Amino acid sequence: MKSPSPTTAAGRPSGRIRRHLPLSPWLFAAPGLIVVGAFSLYPFFSTLVNSFTDRRTLVPGSFVGLANFRELLHDEMFWTGLRNSVLYVVGVVPALVILPLLLAMLVQRHIPGITFFRSAFYTPVVASIVVVGLIWVWMLDDRGLVNAVLEAVGIGKVGFLSDQWLLLGSAMTVTVWKGLGYYMIIYLAALANVPRELHEAASVDGAGVVRRFFTVTVPAIRSTMVLVAALSSVSAFKVFSEVYLMAGPSGGPAGEDTTLVMLVQRVGTGLSGRVGYASAISVVIFVVTVGLMLLVLRADRKEDA
Amino acid sequence: MHIPRRAVAAAAVLATVLPLSACGGGSGADSSDASGKVEGKITFQTWNLQANFKDYFNGVIADFEKKYPGTEVKWVDRPGEGYADKISADAAGGTLPDVVNVSPDLVAPLAKAGLALDLDKAAPKYRKEYLDGAWKSHQIPGTEGTYAFPWYLNTGPMFYNKRLFKDAGLDPQKPPTTYDEVFADGLKLAEKSHGKVATLANVPTIEDFGRYGGQLMNKEGTGFAFNDAKGVELLTHYKELYDAKGLDSQALTATPESSGHKFLTESVAMNPGSALDLANFKKQAPSLYKNIGITDQVSSTGKANMYVMGVMVNAQSKRKPAAVAFAHYVTDATRQMEFAKQVAIFPSTAGSLDDPYFTKEDGTDVTRVRVAAAKSLKTAVNYTPVLFSEQMKTELRNQIAKALQGKQSPKEALDNAVKACDRLLQQS
Repeated sequence: MKSPSPTTAAGRPSGRIRRHLPLSPWLFAAPGLIVVGAFSLYPFFSTLVNSFTDRRTLVPGSFVGLANFRELLHDEMFWTGLRNSVLYVVGVVPALVILPLLLAMLVQRHIPGITFFRSAFYTPVVASIVVVGLIWVWMLDDRGLVNAVLEAVGIGKVGFLSDQWLLLGSAMTVTVWKGLGYYMIIYLAALANVPRELHEAASVDGAGVVRRFFTVTVPAIRSTMVLVAALSSVSAFKVFSEVYLMAGPSGGPAGEDTTLVMLVQRVGTGLSGRVGYASAISVVIFVVTVGLMLLVLRADRKEDA
Repeated sequence: MHIPRRAVAAAAVLATVLPLSACGGGSGADSSDASGKVEGKITFQTWNLQANFKDYFNGVIADFEKKYPGTEVKWVDRPGEGYADKISADAAGGTLPDVVNVSPDLVAPLAKAGLALDLDKAAPKYRKEYLDGAWKSHQIPGTEGTYAFPWYLNTGPMFYNKRLFKDAGLDPQKPPTTYDEVFADGLKLAEKSHGKVATLANVPTIEDFGRYGGQLMNKEGTGFAFNDAKGVELLTHYKELYDAKGLDSQALTATPESSGHKFLTESVAMNPGSALDLANFKKQAPSLYKNIGITDQVSSTGKANMYVMGVMVNAQSKRKPAAVAFAHYVTDATRQMEFAKQVAIFPSTAGSLDDPYFTKEDGTDVTRVRVAAAKSLKTAVNYTPVLFSEQMKTELRNQIAKALQGKQSPKEALDNAVKACDRLLQQS
């Protein structure tokens, strides 16, 4: 039996199918589009619009132009938040680009029991950030494990959770520790694609481990490193949980460890929340985040050129 | 498929403009009429009570439905964490339950937005059933009306560690009860322990300024006033305590939970609490429990601070008669007395605190704490201003932290805090 052909000899769709074709792709895409529209696009545009209003949680508000953005310029806490978020990127991103790579190279080797170590390094990724944060708080407390050890070796107590800078550093440490496994997996996939022949050829030419790392490994996985830099810089700039858990809801001593996302939460939530002003901070976060991505991609393009 | 650019542009404009259309004035309609037959289905929301009091509330609901045939109460309970955010979302989304468990600071913005029923208009006949102070706790400065039935009251004693007091050469039988005594003993404790034992684990809150005798708001309720001479004096003493290590080194970032933990681990000598804490000490820190001392709340005014819970009726409820009847039923003298026997809380209904349950001791710590708390409640004051929002608390806390760190003087810190809180008050 001859099966019906959906196309004519000239390769054009038959009449019946052609009638439905223009809508079909949209119908297939509709579920995804609806989800993206409802949970990404609408909130995005809504935030953008709210940033130009004085909307509060229970008061619809009215259009105020750029007043919220002008207020940001004079808000001391906004600048504190921006400084801390930028510092977070500066402190966390280099560590998350380099350390997981070294870890991946370490566990890439086929030695007995290596699967255990791979799993162990990945465990923090799947652990709840709240649980992880609380454990670190207990460890870094004045009477916690770390200070007990420091006192035992004669260094004395260190105020990890009471000093503004040490607190921020402690939160960065948790972020790096928790992110190591995630980026390690990405690097493992990239390292698996580096041709072994290149390493062998370099070895024959007398290149040592360090030289092979810089001349073979790094160039081969450079695009992955850029990806890791982009992903980690965006998430570092938007950090909330680690700092909130370790510095407390007030954002550390005198709020000096507040990050921009913490500020959005503090200003925009609750029954008296200033939704308009919090939206303006969110717009700034969006602009800086996009800027960071473009910066990383531009740096990558320059390297290519 | 080709989509005309004009259509894309129109969609973008719509997406931008549509949310704006939501901006506008609120409804000003009078919604305080709650007369009519008590019937229909209503929703009752509590604040973290289901885990421990499921049977009690199911019993109350069943009794109410039996008393008012044709009514049905759906009970929902929300966790303590994020409770205000949940109410915010419900209020903004128009899904606020008919009857809601609230605290005075939560009622204020809801009342301003026209979402809390004015009981002075809708149910004035019930007013005489409650303690006058408790009824007034849900009134908002600058507006007329009362926006929630008072429910349970609470106040807590001050717990102290007798062993730490003794080690510092202080009399464990004479704990400090005024702020001046706390500061004097605190400096001594810090000196004798070489800074290892702090007296308090947290920075002062707005209630501390009230109990020290300072003025918190102006008489009109239009601005804050805790930067008066008393306020500056209190903060100056705290600074001295902090410098002498009499205030825990992590006090600037402390939460009530972390302060409680410090007291459990015996690194601070005093911590405010409630009768509920005794069982916790016994279970988690037996060595502390052996040395536990219980005294009155620290106060230089002779009055303790009290916390008030309320039950609000949604002004937009379609079943207002049933909602008002149920809110009153839950908070009437009989139900409050029953509830007080389930947990360490105190009724806000007139005469209930004279019940022998709150006046007679049986020699145990539990009854001692209960009787002392009930006694102090008769003169207690709710020192937290109704209009003092979470954001204002953070502003005050952060300015206090700067003063304790020496980055600004106590006067400058309180001036800045008042300025910031006044600004937030104007914006609310």
